[in-house]
Amino acid sequence: MALIALILLPAVGGLIAFFIAGQGERERWVAIATFALMLVLLVAIVAGAPEGRWYAQVSYPWVPSFGISLDFAMDGLSASLIAISAGLGIISVMASWSEIRTQSGLFHASLCWTVAATIGVFLSFDLLIFAFFWEAMLVPAFTLIAVWGHGDREGAALKFLIFNAVAGFGLLAAAFALASMADHMTFNAFELAEMKLSTSVQVWMLLGFSLAFLVKLSVPPFHAWLPEAHTLAPTAGSILLAGVLLKTGAYGLFRFAPMLFPQGLAAVSPYGIALGAAGALYGGLVACGQNDAKRLVAYTSIAHMSIVLMGIAAGVHYALAGAAVEMIAHSFSASALFLLIGALYERTHTRDLRQLGGLQQIAPRFAAAFALFCSALLALPGTANFVGEALVVVGIFQVNWVFALLALSTLIVSVIYATRLLKGLVFGQPRPNAPLADLNWREYWPVLVMSLATLVIGLYPQSLLALLEPAIKAALVLPLP
Amino acid sequence: MTAAQFAALSPLVVLAIAAVAAMMLVPLARIEAAQAAAGAGLALAAGLVLLRVGAPAAPLGALFTDDGLARFGIAYACLASLGALIFLRTGVPAKEAPALLVLVALGAATLAGAGHAATLFLGIEIVSLSLIALFAFRLSRQGLEAAYKFLVMSGLASSALLLGVALIYAETGALDFVGWTGHGALAALGTALLLAGLAFKFSLAPFHMWTPDAFEASPASAAALAGVVSKAAVAIVLLRLFLTAHLPEPVWSSGLAALGAASVLVGNLLALRQPQLPRMLGYSTIAHSGYIALILASGAPRAAEAVLFYLGVYAPAMLGALCVSAALGRAPTLYDLHGLIKRRPLEAIALSLSLLSLAGLPAAGGFIGKLYLLHVLVDRGLWLLLAIVVAGASLGFFYYARFFTAPFLGQSHDEAEPLPRVDQGLLALCVILIVLFGVAPVVLIDVVRLALP
Repeated sequence: MALIALILLPAVGGLIAFFIAGQGERERWVAIATFALMLVLLVAIVAGAPEGRWYAQVSYPWVPSFGISLDFAMDGLSASLIAISAGLGIISVMASWSEIRTQSGLFHASLCWTVAATIGVFLSFDLLIFAFFWEAMLVPAFTLIAVWGHGDREGAALKFLIFNAVAGFGLLAAAFALASMADHMTFNAFELAEMKLSTSVQVWMLLGFSLAFLVKLSVPPFHAWLPEAHTLAPTAGSILLAGVLLKTGAYGLFRFAPMLFPQGLAAVSPYGIALGAAGALYGGLVACGQNDAKRLVAYTSIAHMSIVLMGIAAGVHYALAGAAVEMIAHSFSASALFLLIGALYERTHTRDLRQLGGLQQIAPRFAAAFALFCSALLALPGTANFVGEALVVVGIFQVNWVFALLALSTLIVSVIYATRLLKGLVFGQPRPNAPLADLNWREYWPVLVMSLATLVIGLYPQSLLALLEPAIKAALVLPLP
Repeated sequence: MTAAQFAALSPLVVLAIAAVAAMMLVPLARIEAAQAAAGAGLALAAGLVLLRVGAPAAPLGALFTDDGLARFGIAYACLASLGALIFLRTGVPAKEAPALLVLVALGAATLAGAGHAATLFLGIEIVSLSLIALFAFRLSRQGLEAAYKFLVMSGLASSALLLGVALIYAETGALDFVGWTGHGALAALGTALLLAGLAFKFSLAPFHMWTPDAFEASPASAAALAGVVSKAAVAIVLLRLFLTAHLPEPVWSSGLAALGAASVLVGNLLALRQPQLPRMLGYSTIAHSGYIALILASGAPRAAEAVLFYLGVYAPAMLGALCVSAALGRAPTLYDLHGLIKRRPLEAIALSLSLLSLAGLPAAGGFIGKLYLLHVLVDRGLWLLLAIVVAGASLGFFYYARFFTAPFLGQSHDEAEPLPRVDQGLLALCVILIVLFGVAPVVLIDVVRLALP
């Protein structure tokens, strides 16, 4: 019941924000209160959890004749991603406090609904309910980009919607095909996982699922929607896209690919690793050539999500643990960078690295924050990203050293783009040569929290790894060579 | 005539009386009186059907069937026509419109119970003739063109249908659907002609040409009657043929599949760049006919349930969109929609949700309709048709999304007077139904189950 409340809370919060919007800032506080309540509820669920992998489970029939039921369950992985979603929800509201002035009610409602749908994705174990939330999150996120974005926002939003909605058909068709093979009509993932399917059938089903996941994960060549959606979205939209929406793709792959199609995943594992390695190199190299800071960070997201794909495809313990940590680390680093760049853009009206610089002289807090998160971008030891990427590389070494060398080379590329971003923004002559307001409290506190999270996970990853361990164990498909 | 027989036929009787009453009131009273008579007749007829839910079927002979499906169809026709009546603007220059509207409902109700070729033809003609008059109502050039197109093609389609029935009769010697069990060449040709005739009324490509013109040029209520009421009635005829007749299988399913696939592609492709809301909806309704035809073509065990569910979620979405279109004046474009959320929030929300449902995205009812469609296609392993549906629906996201965002963008252009309360009530009801069917589809599935044996 508490799990359903966790989804209903932001859904209802969004409705309230929509209807009470008007003079003043009421809708912003409603949204913040909603996300804060979610965090409280989450803590309560985790604190009162029984022993074992699942903190809470619930099942209600939804459409009995089709065998669809509201099967929700939460383990450490879901709980950490939900915490991040709610936390980034609060941060999005704070980050858009001065940016969003029109249609504020609808904006905050869309924020709440995006989060509600992603929570649904993180909790569902019924494939059709999963697909329901999977597609439901597209609509409010589309609205966020289309209405409050910059430049050709409608085009970017349409691209985002069409890529992801079309890919969703792969998920739906594969789910129906899978259910039609069961002896009774069911979409419950635990029951479907019991089926003994031949490897070739598993591969086909996996391809259907992966279509949806890889597009959301934006692994090249499925990435074409991401650079524009991220660049043209309002700051809050970019934060949610990078911090939460991309993670749904990673989560879906992590959770369902090994669970439903273990032999199929093992069969395509080399291709998955190769695709991820190519994507990471491609994303990294393209990022190196960007002058628009936001676009640069968008391409680094492609690279990092490709590393997550490599980790999941490798299917060994280290790599999976690395992929899980990388998902969470990337949420902090990318969201923080989008927040900082958005704040900078509000002040200078440019994101062009050639027209910016010298922040360390004029805005030290900005500069320090950029320095920290650029280090996270290149996976400097001590940051959470290092833990994730190092574990992935170690895991891939156990599978195939050629791929591991490729993975290592992507880390070298990441040094190039991260230092380029750092140099362009923080060092050199102050540009534009005008007084620049440093981070205000609504920007400072979120950045501080995300910095602490990045450093704590980076310096002491053990508690997070312990939290994720049951989910990682469940995703193991390959025996160690 | 026994009491049960009378009760079974009473909705049709009430509709006929209401149509006559609405016509007689034209010279005597203001248009509001005719509208009230029409509305009362439709509501009473719907009430009479709903009272008989679950009652045993009355024996009515071969011409008219009294079963769950017929009751579903009659109730659907009455309620959807009632919705269309609400936004039949008083500004429409002639007072006969309410009477014609009730006649369309009467024709649709006849079709819902048609298990016999004679009833089928009668129903089709009542619907078509009333629609021709309604299309021409604005007496504009475009309106006359749309009506004329419809008139000529409708005549052609009716002839094809009649010839098809004659050919099937020649082989099977039966005029009731149950007796149609032919396998020979005559029956095959007859089936093809019958499908062509029905495809015209169902606006399936390549017999769809009249639809966008009619949607653009005629009052939105007439579009609703053509796009929802008469369309659902023809869908129920097709469903009844699917359930009871045994027409030559290859012609029937491959014909429906070809027509459906063509409509999905044509409707969605031509809707892509339409800047006008009603014209876009006209193309969209072609695509939706295509989806329904594909469900029937699949022949899957759940096809009947899927068709009725699809019709159920389709009605509030299309009616809501058309009601908003009517509120914005003649043929509103994307530009006219700008800033709608500020001056008319209810209309903006209703339009957005309707389009969401038509696009088949959650949490609108259309998503569950799409699930049904995918389910029957995957169930039968019809991968080519599935690919066509995916292609069509993907195109759909594009144009629905353009209209979906328009109300939230830009500045409003005019200061329109607020909608009457009834229209607002209709829009609110559409919003509620769309969300209800999307979040708790069981409600509609239970209704659909009642309609099927």
